[in-house]
Amino acid sequence: MSMLELGFWSFPVLLLLIFLRAPIGLAMFGMGAAGIWLALGSPDVVLAKLKNESFSTFSSYSLTIIPMFLLMGQFATLSGMSSALFKAAESWLGHRKGGVAMASVGACAGFGAICGSSLATAATMSKVALPEMKRYGYSGGFSTATLAAGGTLGILIPPSVILVIYAILTEQNIAKLFLAAFIPGLLAALGYMLTIAIYVRLYPDAAGTRPPVPYAERIAALLKVWPVLLVFGVVVGGIYLGWFTPTEGAAVGAFGTGLIAFLSGNLTWALFKDAILATASTTGMIFFIILGAALYNSFLALTQVPQELANYVLGLGLTPWLVLVMILVFYLIFGCVMDSLSMILLTIPIFFPVISAMDFGLVDLAALQAGLANEVLAAGVPDGMGQEMLESIKAAIASGAELTREQMKALDIRMTQGMANRIEAEYLAIWFGILVLIVVEVGLITPPVGMNLFIINTMDSETPMIDTYKSVLFFVGSDLFRVALLVLFPSITLFVLTL
Amino acid sequence: MQNFVNTLARMMAILGGLVLSALIVMVCLSVLGRGGNTFANWDALEAAMPGLSAALLSTGIGPVPGDFEVVEAGIAFAIFAFLPLCQLKNAHATVDVFTSLMPKSFNTFLKAFWEILLTLAILLITWRLGVGLMDKIDNGETTFILGFPKWWGYAASFVAALVASFVALYCATIRTQAALKGQPSVLDADEAR
Repeated sequence: MSMLELGFWSFPVLLLLIFLRAPIGLAMFGMGAAGIWLALGSPDVVLAKLKNESFSTFSSYSLTIIPMFLLMGQFATLSGMSSALFKAAESWLGHRKGGVAMASVGACAGFGAICGSSLATAATMSKVALPEMKRYGYSGGFSTATLAAGGTLGILIPPSVILVIYAILTEQNIAKLFLAAFIPGLLAALGYMLTIAIYVRLYPDAAGTRPPVPYAERIAALLKVWPVLLVFGVVVGGIYLGWFTPTEGAAVGAFGTGLIAFLSGNLTWALFKDAILATASTTGMIFFIILGAALYNSFLALTQVPQELANYVLGLGLTPWLVLVMILVFYLIFGCVMDSLSMILLTIPIFFPVISAMDFGLVDLAALQAGLANEVLAAGVPDGMGQEMLESIKAAIASGAELTREQMKALDIRMTQGMANRIEAEYLAIWFGILVLIVVEVGLITPPVGMNLFIINTMDSETPMIDTYKSVLFFVGSDLFRVALLVLFPSITLFVLTL
Repeated sequence: MQNFVNTLARMMAILGGLVLSALIVMVCLSVLGRGGNTFANWDALEAAMPGLSAALLSTGIGPVPGDFEVVEAGIAFAIFAFLPLCQLKNAHATVDVFTSLMPKSFNTFLKAFWEILLTLAILLITWRLGVGLMDKIDNGETTFILGFPKWWGYAASFVAALVASFVALYCATIRTQAALKGQPSVLDADEAR
């Protein structure tokens, strides 16, 4: 068997093992080790690699973000901020039709800003919001579905553990990914609120009503959530403005959230221990998969399957959009059975080279040049530029033509095809990352096996699972609509990067 | 025995968590120090309040030198220290949609099977980490800024990996016994609780 064949067949075998309940990290570790052994005909390379592989993977400075964000999420659940957020959102929205459900979504979005995990967001917010929704006469299935969907905001709104992994796998800037995730995250929250508004019109019995709260109370409730805004602003803003590295940002966030939890009086030694234990088992689980993925990916790279696959797909001559949609559908289907993180670690090394080879035309060289040229001209015509040159530049901009070398020299700007290609590659990586992040999260709320649904169902034993399933389909619909929107209009995700 | 393993795994995890917390505090101090240093060297401050600027600088305010080297050594230990708990609580990610359709006895058998392979993998990792540790002791490699021997980090991780191996062996034994008897293992009873 050639190396390429070996690499190719390893993937279905790996999936088979995973579907036979093999721990995902173990399956990748085993396939990687066995694959390198078979490919090279001797175990020596694997054994030599393993002398440093585990230590260097676990001691990676950039991966340190993950346990820090996980601990931050644990502190966030202890901080009492979940109920402050819910009260604030509820006082503003609660009197509307379906308002308490909308408030739950809003509070989930706020909580997502200090918590990078969907399951933690769903579980924490359910504790606060479920009893309130029951109290105001909201039906069981509608309440649980709302919180399951709201929980996904935990990972869509930065900080997000999955985006960190994606950034490291594809060597992208974490700060830019966080920034790009922000608008789609807000769109998700708005979409869910819209879904709720539609739902309560279709099923008026599903939601009760209550009188509005006086404005003074609303403002007082809103003021109580300032620590969330502060932590989120410092962490995401600080990383983006370059005050500190993403790892330092995660440390600052974990410390800040821990401080809020401590000041709220909830952070006793016993609860601190619980927070550590929860962080420990999740971190152990994630890093074991990362280690397995590292080994499996070095095997794949050895067999050159990713490049060959990219060449093959390119050779098929499919339109890039079709390839993208096929990949997203693959994620939607697999997301129903596999957890998002494993799926990203397993598939991004294979799919990312394919997508990177595609040309989506996200960036237009002439438009970039025109942008730069207009900036220069807005500050006044540069000294020594002749009238003729100015006219020719203006004509080129107006007709959408690319500027010549002389024109750029006269303007003192530089924007070549190569530079435009690099920007295009970065935009594509960021856009694809956000799309993948959203579709794998849809898997968390897709019946019958969405993880968020199970978590919430264990918290509300009175509501039959089937009721949750029926209502959650509306939210899945809203997710799919949003994905279509973001696919069709890449600029929704990317325009923040051009600011 | 089960109580002992349970306590051991939890203590390792808490130790790892304390190291993680200490690293978080250190990184925050480093960020603060760097911020303070930038502030003290700020032109406007030097012009307006030269006394304050000089006083700040004389305290030696600045980032913790070589903080990332400590982070790298510390976090590796923390993660190795998290593995025993992860093992004991069977927290590894799996896809159980398809196997849940099969009979219970088959699943008990399957769990034991994977647990044995997982244990072999952890033993392999621990063994090779130990060899890596010996290499680092022999070649006397030190870190770039702080200059502490690289094998310190390896040694700490190796100790944690030994505990992980021990816990893994224990879990594999329990699950194999349960599979042979055709009963769910006590470890699963723990999970359900």
